[in-house]
Amino acid sequence: MMCMAPLFAAGVGRLSQGSAGIATVALYLPEGDETAAEISERLLDGDSVLRYLSCGKEDEARALVESGEADAAWIFAEDMEERLGELAERRRVRPVVTVVERRDSVPLTLGREILAAAIYPSYSYAVYEGYVRGALGMEEASEEKLRAVYESVAVEGSLFQMVYPDQTPGETEDYSYVQAPLRGILAIWLTFCGLAGALWFMQDEERGVYGRVPMAKRLAASYGACGVFLADASVVLLLSVKLSGVFTDWKKEVVSCAVFVLCVTAFVNLLRLLCRTPQKLGVTLLPLLAVMLALCPVFLNLQHFRAGKLLLPPWYYLQSVHNVRYLYLMAAYTLVLAALGLLLQRLLNRRAG
Amino acid sequence: MTRVRAYFLAQLKRTFRLAFPQLAADILICACVGLLSYLLVAQGAFAAGGARYRIGMVGDLSDSYLGFGIAALQEMDDSRFMIELVGMSEAEADEAFEKGELYAVMRVPDGLLESIVSGGNDCLITYTPAEGSKGLGTMVMGEITDIASTLVTSSQSAIYAMQRMLVEEGRQEEVGRETDRLNLSLINLVLSRSGFGEVELLGYADGLSMELYYFCSAVLLFLLLAGLLNCVFFARRKEALWQFLKAGGVGAPWQVAGEYLAYLCLVGMGLLALCLPLSLLLERGIMVVPEWEGMGAAPFWAFVGSLIPVTIMFAAGQFFLFEAADGIVNGILMQLLCGIGMGYLSGYFYPSSFFPERMRVLGDFLPSGAAARFVEAGLFGKAPAAAVMPVFMYTAVFLILAAAVRGRRTGREWLW
Repeated sequence: MMCMAPLFAAGVGRLSQGSAGIATVALYLPEGDETAAEISERLLDGDSVLRYLSCGKEDEARALVESGEADAAWIFAEDMEERLGELAERRRVRPVVTVVERRDSVPLTLGREILAAAIYPSYSYAVYEGYVRGALGMEEASEEKLRAVYESVAVEGSLFQMVYPDQTPGETEDYSYVQAPLRGILAIWLTFCGLAGALWFMQDEERGVYGRVPMAKRLAASYGACGVFLADASVVLLLSVKLSGVFTDWKKEVVSCAVFVLCVTAFVNLLRLLCRTPQKLGVTLLPLLAVMLALCPVFLNLQHFRAGKLLLPPWYYLQSVHNVRYLYLMAAYTLVLAALGLLLQRLLNRRAG
Repeated sequence: MTRVRAYFLAQLKRTFRLAFPQLAADILICACVGLLSYLLVAQGAFAAGGARYRIGMVGDLSDSYLGFGIAALQEMDDSRFMIELVGMSEAEADEAFEKGELYAVMRVPDGLLESIVSGGNDCLITYTPAEGSKGLGTMVMGEITDIASTLVTSSQSAIYAMQRMLVEEGRQEEVGRETDRLNLSLINLVLSRSGFGEVELLGYADGLSMELYYFCSAVLLFLLLAGLLNCVFFARRKEALWQFLKAGGVGAPWQVAGEYLAYLCLVGMGLLALCLPLSLLLERGIMVVPEWEGMGAAPFWAFVGSLIPVTIMFAAGQFFLFEAADGIVNGILMQLLCGIGMGYLSGYFYPSSFFPERMRVLGDFLPSGAAARFVEAGLFGKAPAAAVMPVFMYTAVFLILAAAVRGRRTGREWLW
C-alpha cells in the first residue's frame, strides 16, 4: 500500500521528461531566411511553456490546427526581412506572421506575446537600421558596419530574477509544471493517511481494543496510533518527493515534513472527536478532499479564501517549503488544534460520565 | 438462484438503509463545491476585472521614465487586461502578500534606471510569487518577465548602437535628442507589437470549450472519487458471512454481483444528487456552458445519459479496489491515490494536451481516460467502438477480478 505513492511519484516524474506545453504551436518558417532562422532559434531554445512542432510547409501547419493536433500555427511570411524593414520604417504595414488558431484562449494569448518577444529583437534591429540610415542621414553606412556596431553593444541577460521568500533563486528548482503538483498530491495523501489512522483507531475502539485504556488517556492513545501510522507515511512522503524530482534540500524537507506530520496528527484527532463515529468521519472524506484540492496550491493557486486555507494542514506544508514563516504558523496551528482536541476530549469525557 | 436473489435483495435493503446518510453526504459535497464556486464568483475571481493578476511593485518608482513605463503598461499595453501593477511600500506589500491579495511582489532596486541607461543591467528586479513553490503560475510568470526583459534589452541594444554610430561620426551633441526620439518610437512599436501578426480564428472545430471540458472533468472526478464518499458501504464486511453464503450455494461471483449492484444503486443516487442541482443551474442560466447556452438543461441530460456506462465502470473499479484492499482503511487510501493519480494523468485537473506524449498515451489508456473519451464522444453525438469498448472491457475486468479476489478469500477455488 505504501509503495503506491513513491511508484506514482517516480512514474509521473519520469513520464514528465518529454516535451510538453500548455499549448502546441505548429511553426512554419521560410527556409534560407536569416531572420527566420534567428527567430526559430529564440523560440526553440531553452524551456518554454509552449510546445513547438516544426513544419516544412504552410499547409502542413494549417492542417495540424484543423485536425486539432496543434492549438495554433505561426506561419511566417516568405519575405519576412523585407516586411520587417517596411514595418520598422512605417512605410507599409504588412503582417510578418499569420497566426492561425482554433479559438482564442489564455495560453494562446500568452503565446502571441512570446511570438512578439521572439520577433522583437529582429524588429528593433530593423528600426535601428532604418533610423540610422533615414533619420540620421547615414545612407552610406554598410550593413556589416551597422551589424558590427549593434552586436558590440547588444545587451543580453534578463532584468528579472525570481526569488522565493527565503531568498532561494527560482532557477534552483529544475522541474516541469507536470511534476509541480506532485508535492501537493503527496501532502493530501499524507493527510488521508492520518485520517485512515484515525478511522483505524475508531474501529479498534469500537471493537474494544482500547477497553483497558482509561477515557482520560484515549486522546494520547489516539495520538500514538496516528503517530505510528504517519511515521511510515512521512518516510514514504520524503522518498516520493525525492523520486518525483521536486525535492529541495534534506534539512528543509525533513523539518517541514516533521511539523506537517504533527499538524496532521492533531488535525485528524480533532476531526475524529468532532465526528465521533467512523461513519461520520467517512462522510467528511470527499468534501474535505474537494476543499483541499481547491484551496491548497496543488493544481491552482486561488487568491481568495484565506480563512479556509488557514484551516488546512497541507496548505501550511506547501507554503512552508520556501517560507519559514509558515513553518512557525504550522507549529502554532498544531498547538491550537491539540489544545482544542484536549478541551473537546475533556468535554466528551465529562458528558460520558 | 433463490438464495442469490435473496442475497441481492438483502444488499439492496442495506443500501436503502444507508441511502439517507449517503444522500446527506452527497448534498454536503454538492454544497461544498457550490459554496466554493459561489464565493469565487462573488469575490470576482471569474469576472473580467477580477481575473487580472495583481502585482505589488515595491521600490522607488518616482523616476519619470519608470513611472512613465508603468503608466504606459497600465493604460496602453495589451498586458493591462491580464496584469494590474500596484505601487506600494514594503510593509503594505508584505501585508497584502500575506493576506493572499497579490499574485506576486516585484522589488525594483535602487539605481535600476542608471543600470539600464548605462547598459550594465546589473540591478535585477526580483519578484516573489505567491505560489509556495514552483508551479504552472510561476512558470507563466517567468515567461512574462522574459518577454518584458527581451523588449527592454532589445530596445536598449538599438539605442546604444544608434548612440555609438553618432559618436563614431563625431555627432555627440545629437545623442540626447536622437535617443529621446528613438526611445519614443521604440515605445510606440512595443505598444503596438500585436501588429506583427494577423490572427485567423477557425472556430471551435471538433474540440470542447474550456468551460465544458472542466465541467465534464469535475463530474467525472466526482464519479471517480465516489468510492471515498460511499466507503461506509464497505465497512463491517465479514469473511465468515461470505464463507457461509458460499456453503449455501451463493458463490463468489454471485456475492460480488449482488453487492456490486447494490453499490451501483448508491453511486447512481449520488450521481442523481449531483445532476439535479446542476440541471437547475443550467436551466435557469445561472451556470453557463458555451456549447449549451440558451438550450436549457436538455443537452445536459443527454450528457448524463452518456455518464451511465462510465458510472457503471467507475463503480466496478471502486468495488474492486475495496475488495482487493485489506480492510476499509486501506481501501480508502487506494481510492484516494488511484482516483487522484488517474484523474491527473487523464487530464481532469490540467488538460491532457499539457502533458508529454507518453503521459497522454498512458492517461488515455487508463479507465479514467477511457471514460473521458467516451463522454467526449457522447457530447458530439457519436459512439465509436474505440470509445465504447474500453468502458465495457474495464467494467468486465474489474468485476471478474473482484470475483477472483472474493473467491480466493472464501476458499481455494478462485471462481465457482
